[in-house]
Amino acid sequence: MKNIRRLVIMTMTLFVLSCSLDGVVDPNQPSLEGVVGDPSLQNLNLLAQGLEARAVNSWGGFITATGSISREMYFFNASDPTTTETLIGKEGGMLTGSEPQLTGTMFGRYQAVKSADFILDAVERSEISDTQKSGFRGIALTFKGYLLLDVLELLGDNGVRVDIADPENLGPFLGRAEGFQAISDLLDQGFAELQSAEFTFQFSEGFEDFDTPTTFAQFNRAIAARVAVRQGDFASALSLLNDSFLELSGANLGTGPKRIYAQGGTELLNPIFKAPQQSGDQYIVHNRFISDIEAGDARINKFRLRNDPVARDGLNGTHEINVYESVTSPIDHIRNEELVLIYAEANIRQANFTEAVDALNIIRNANGLGDYAGAVTEDDLIDEMLYNRTYSLFGEGHAMFDLRRYDRLNDTFLPIDRPGDIIHTQFPIPPFEVQ
Amino acid sequence: MKQTFLKNVFLLMFLVIPIGMFAQDTISGTVTDAANGDPLVGVSVVLKGSITGALTDFDGNFSIMASQDDTLVFSYIGYSTKEVLASDASNVQMNVDVTNLDEVVVTGLVSSIKRSNLANNISTVDSEALTGATTGSTLDGALYGKLTGVNINAAGGAPGGQTALRLRGISSLSGNNQPLFIVDGVYISNIQLTNGSAVASGANAGREEGGSNRVSDINPEDIESIEVLKGASAAAIYGTRANAGVVIITTKRGAAGKTSIKFEQDVGFNTIQNFAGRRQFTSATVASTFGAAEVPIFEAAQAAGRIFNYEEELYGEEGLIIDTRVSVSGGGEKTKFYFNASRRNEDGIMQRTGYKRNSLRVNLDHIISDELKIGLSSNYVNSRADRGPVGNENNGGFSVGYNLALVTADWENLFPDENGIYPDARFSAANVIFNRDLIDNSEEINRYIQGANIEYKAITNDDFSLKLTANGGLDYFQGKTFVYIPETQQIQRATTQGFISAGNNSSLQYNYNAFAVLNYLPSEKITLNGQFGISYLNFESDAVISQTTQLVPTQRNLQQGGEFNTFQRLTEEEEFGIIGQSTLNWDDKIIATAGIRFDKSNLNGDPNKFFAFPRASVAVNIANFDFWNVDDISLFKLRVAYGETGSSARFGSLFTPLGPTSVGGSQGLALPTVGQNNQSAQLGEANLEPETSQELEFGADFSFFNNKLGLELTGYIRDVKNLIYPFSSIPLSSGFANSIRNDFDLSNKGFEISLNANPISNSNVNWNTTLNFWRNEAEVERLGVGEFQPTGEGFSLTFGSSFIREGETATSLAANINGVTTIIGDAAPDYEMSWFNQITLFKNLDITFLWHLKQGGDVLNLTKLLSDFGGVTPDLDNPDVIANPRFGTFGAAGYIEDGSYIRLREVGAYYTLPFKFDFIEKARIGISGKNILTFTDYTGYDPETSAFGPSGLSQGIEVAPFPSAEQYYFHLQFTF
Repeated sequence: MKNIRRLVIMTMTLFVLSCSLDGVVDPNQPSLEGVVGDPSLQNLNLLAQGLEARAVNSWGGFITATGSISREMYFFNASDPTTTETLIGKEGGMLTGSEPQLTGTMFGRYQAVKSADFILDAVERSEISDTQKSGFRGIALTFKGYLLLDVLELLGDNGVRVDIADPENLGPFLGRAEGFQAISDLLDQGFAELQSAEFTFQFSEGFEDFDTPTTFAQFNRAIAARVAVRQGDFASALSLLNDSFLELSGANLGTGPKRIYAQGGTELLNPIFKAPQQSGDQYIVHNRFISDIEAGDARINKFRLRNDPVARDGLNGTHEINVYESVTSPIDHIRNEELVLIYAEANIRQANFTEAVDALNIIRNANGLGDYAGAVTEDDLIDEMLYNRTYSLFGEGHAMFDLRRYDRLNDTFLPIDRPGDIIHTQFPIPPFEVQ
Repeated sequence: MKQTFLKNVFLLMFLVIPIGMFAQDTISGTVTDAANGDPLVGVSVVLKGSITGALTDFDGNFSIMASQDDTLVFSYIGYSTKEVLASDASNVQMNVDVTNLDEVVVTGLVSSIKRSNLANNISTVDSEALTGATTGSTLDGALYGKLTGVNINAAGGAPGGQTALRLRGISSLSGNNQPLFIVDGVYISNIQLTNGSAVASGANAGREEGGSNRVSDINPEDIESIEVLKGASAAAIYGTRANAGVVIITTKRGAAGKTSIKFEQDVGFNTIQNFAGRRQFTSATVASTFGAAEVPIFEAAQAAGRIFNYEEELYGEEGLIIDTRVSVSGGGEKTKFYFNASRRNEDGIMQRTGYKRNSLRVNLDHIISDELKIGLSSNYVNSRADRGPVGNENNGGFSVGYNLALVTADWENLFPDENGIYPDARFSAANVIFNRDLIDNSEEINRYIQGANIEYKAITNDDFSLKLTANGGLDYFQGKTFVYIPETQQIQRATTQGFISAGNNSSLQYNYNAFAVLNYLPSEKITLNGQFGISYLNFESDAVISQTTQLVPTQRNLQQGGEFNTFQRLTEEEEFGIIGQSTLNWDDKIIATAGIRFDKSNLNGDPNKFFAFPRASVAVNIANFDFWNVDDISLFKLRVAYGETGSSARFGSLFTPLGPTSVGGSQGLALPTVGQNNQSAQLGEANLEPETSQELEFGADFSFFNNKLGLELTGYIRDVKNLIYPFSSIPLSSGFANSIRNDFDLSNKGFEISLNANPISNSNVNWNTTLNFWRNEAEVERLGVGEFQPTGEGFSLTFGSSFIREGETATSLAANINGVTTIIGDAAPDYEMSWFNQITLFKNLDITFLWHLKQGGDVLNLTKLLSDFGGVTPDLDNPDVIANPRFGTFGAAGYIEDGSYIRLREVGAYYTLPFKFDFIEKARIGISGKNILTFTDYTGYDPETSAFGPSGLSQGIEVAPFPSAEQYYFHLQFTF
């Protein structure tokens, strides 16, 4: 009996040592439920500021992809040597959709779209004022439309997915035309929200002159004009420009909101800047930009002669790009120079040649060239407009889509520098997008 | 636990009750090896049915109080136990037992069983097998080839080790593929520290930084034995930590008697196993690869005789190894001790790399009373590894291997001028010589491991006993990592003007368990054993990495810069389990065991929900039945075992995190970008339950010809259900990098054969040999949503990656070939074999060697892809390669190579000096080598490779690793 009693006591002791475990709250970072589930003004401001940050992400891959395909530049990357293979179509190789330049860009854009969706979701349940709600919706919808344009353009006829609210049940890929419509609808809705809005968050200095609902709405319309031109709706482009920050003068061509780069913390560095004369990792300008430029065009300064000409993987070049001064130089989201060029293009396509020539001259004069002296026909003016877009927006992710819109993204217009190369026109949808 | 059970019993009793004998004679005699007549030292001699016993002395002599008609039981490690009538005990000869049938094997938290009664194939490696042939820097590396069912991959050859140990295939995709390591009852940490260099190098994750894994802190020389529970059927009693198996390490302990002092000194060197080679250029090939403008530069260098071989410049060093160990062990009636102090200092095959480890151990055993005894194990380790700038990178100009392959030209002059100024590399992102000479990448660990156990005999009756045991311990370490890139470095000048990343990691793990162990003998032939207990563990870690850029020139202090950044990662894990197990032994004929463990964990969605992990096994010793009359077969055992284990999710899997953002100083919150603070944009799953492994193991064991030949045959089927994994094929357009899911099943099937023999045993030659064969195949049985790239197990599908596809092996490699995701290889070997030999010649010369064969197992040689792009692969002038360029023709599939090899893993020869000095009991000298011969068609550095560190799948992808080393040693050993 004594033994049994001892046994019972010991058994009970073991059970007493048993314990209840506490659930863990993530000690490392805020959780999605914690922030979006608590739509306080403070949390919404943080999400809005996060949205601006995510809208800066993943710029390098986009420039590498569009710049390489349109033969603006060859990227001799010290780590990913396929930049001179896959993107250039070496030996006839087709794009697969797995290219990190595509997947990285798409992921970055959709992360920002997700930020916008978080805001749109949280605002619905928030108790802030209606004008504050409109402010949040205004920027969320604007950024969403703006960022989805890059995806649609990269995928071309493969379209774009717009609805990503439920990660378990994503919306369909819309066709190209539908996609453009969805994007301009988002921008229009954003513009409407901004009409009676209040901003409570702090943009970075990149949005210094565009940080009120009124001025941010001008950015919204500028983007909408870009979208209209890309979709071929030139009448709309002209009317959208009216509400944008277009200024038909050469004095302020650089005006516009910017991506800010900075050292330290979670800041990003300018991904396009490479140290002058750096080996290994360098954007090399396609030689046609040097040979084709008009004498006296100040935009020649976007290209810097290298001490060592580069010849790698069967490709070569004498100049490296010189668009940004340092790793902390800002990169424009959109600037007046592009708006003037959009104005010119829309007017050419609407047969308002005088307005178009005047606009082109603003760009020419600002870059040290005299007035346009060529024939005033639609075809000649398109050539002149594209020349100016090519040099004014060099290395900023436009060339591939400009050439494609005018059926020039092909080997009759662009040179084939290495036998067997092909010119891609769009990316396939990445694997696993549609399941 | 190589000591026999009887010996333990004897030692205890001998010390507790040394006197009080009467009416008996003193029986004395000598115990010798039956084969060669050598005296056997330390043989336990016990009077059968009593607690009286003795040990043989240095000359094999013993004396014991006994009657002439008593039976004496002689037992000794590695020999068959023998019963002899006291009157015949004047000269006892014992036979070597290659099958170790009497060895006691630890099978659970407090259970052990005689090997001949085991229902599982549990491999044991003793200290002689572990480090008897040669030494190595890490314990996990010393295991390869010595056990069946084990696959080991070195993630790189950097000093300090980086080893992935896999037991019976793939267990998990979320980081718990490494087995659980338990040292003297303490659950020890085996994490890989991250050092933050990925921020500068652009590597995708901390795992690519090439840090060592922390089991390397355990000094292999401290180890008495290692028992490996390879699958769920053996490891079920360890519950939710045991899905990848359990490695139970027992360290050396003192023995009563004469104090033994041992001094050992090893001197050796590291040298590279294999160079990948460099292309021999001509003016024509320089022109075609680097452009015509490069030709005059090449020709000028050629004329000046300044064509270097940068691979040899980097990896051509012979690194000195000095390893010194002193151990003292002994004790008396109540207290025994073992002390070891050791210091290992090795230089790597690259300048400024190396590894140092200082280790102190004190193991104490004390008997408080007849009922109560305690054991303490204390270990302090200080280690430092200088690992050099290695690892994957993206435009970081950090990794020497990467920049060597892509692309350093051998006619560049990268050496500093008379002012110490290094030229910039002309083609790669960095000057590899600058990086070697001036970049720091080090880890320093201070670690303390303390184990304790208490055993209390509550009840001891003739037919019933109850024992209470409690054991537990803690493992604390502080790990400092330091990475420094000077502001003068090529990439740094263009970007952040210098980079310091100083990490401070602290980890505290503690665990305890308490058990009641009952033994009941209802009749002479039946033993019933029961255990009931609890187990608790608590792991906490805090990893802080501080980084400074915009450095003040020449400064290496975190404060001396312009921009600062901090990362912190905290983890808290807590688990509790209740365990019960019972074993029925019918006269060593049938041994049946059943048990169950209930575990709960805060890593599960519901922290207080218990999950059950049952086990059951039966072993039938047919040769022990009365009808058995085949004398030459002393053991014929059939066995079958079933068990379940689990693995909870990796810490953090329950959460969907947001991360901090900053743009121009404006702070915000958004989904984390890739690799930010090693936290991906993960869609967490708040209701996770543990993944489970169910294993059925069956086999037959034989022992022939007086235990001179043993054969073990084992087969198993291990199904891993509901694997938790980050599903990375979630659409990019979701904004998430992965979603945590647990709807993936895989199965491992395999078999293992182990043949042990003592074919020659005479006074001049004794030869023990072990031949092992094992194979495993892991197949993906079910995927809930679709195929995917396991997170962090490859790069984009353009370059190839590990890949999970239903119906394929779980170790598949795939690439996107013309838009189609195509399986291009399988990283798992078809089978592996090893052949281990211990030969003693003329009593004084011991020769040991271990051959290891791995057949099959594909390796994706991305080092070659890089050097192909760089144009410096040695075979680029080969007409076949010109006609079919690897990437151009086959894409990433052009870099799949067969990783088969045959390797002389270990070889050692030791000579025991035949004469005695006054104070030196024994003196030995020896030479040895590790990995000194490899036969393979693989063209990279080492077919045993992984670019992604020791966790996860860790398989077959080589990206410019720190090349593997081979080692040569000279040894001196003195026992006083």
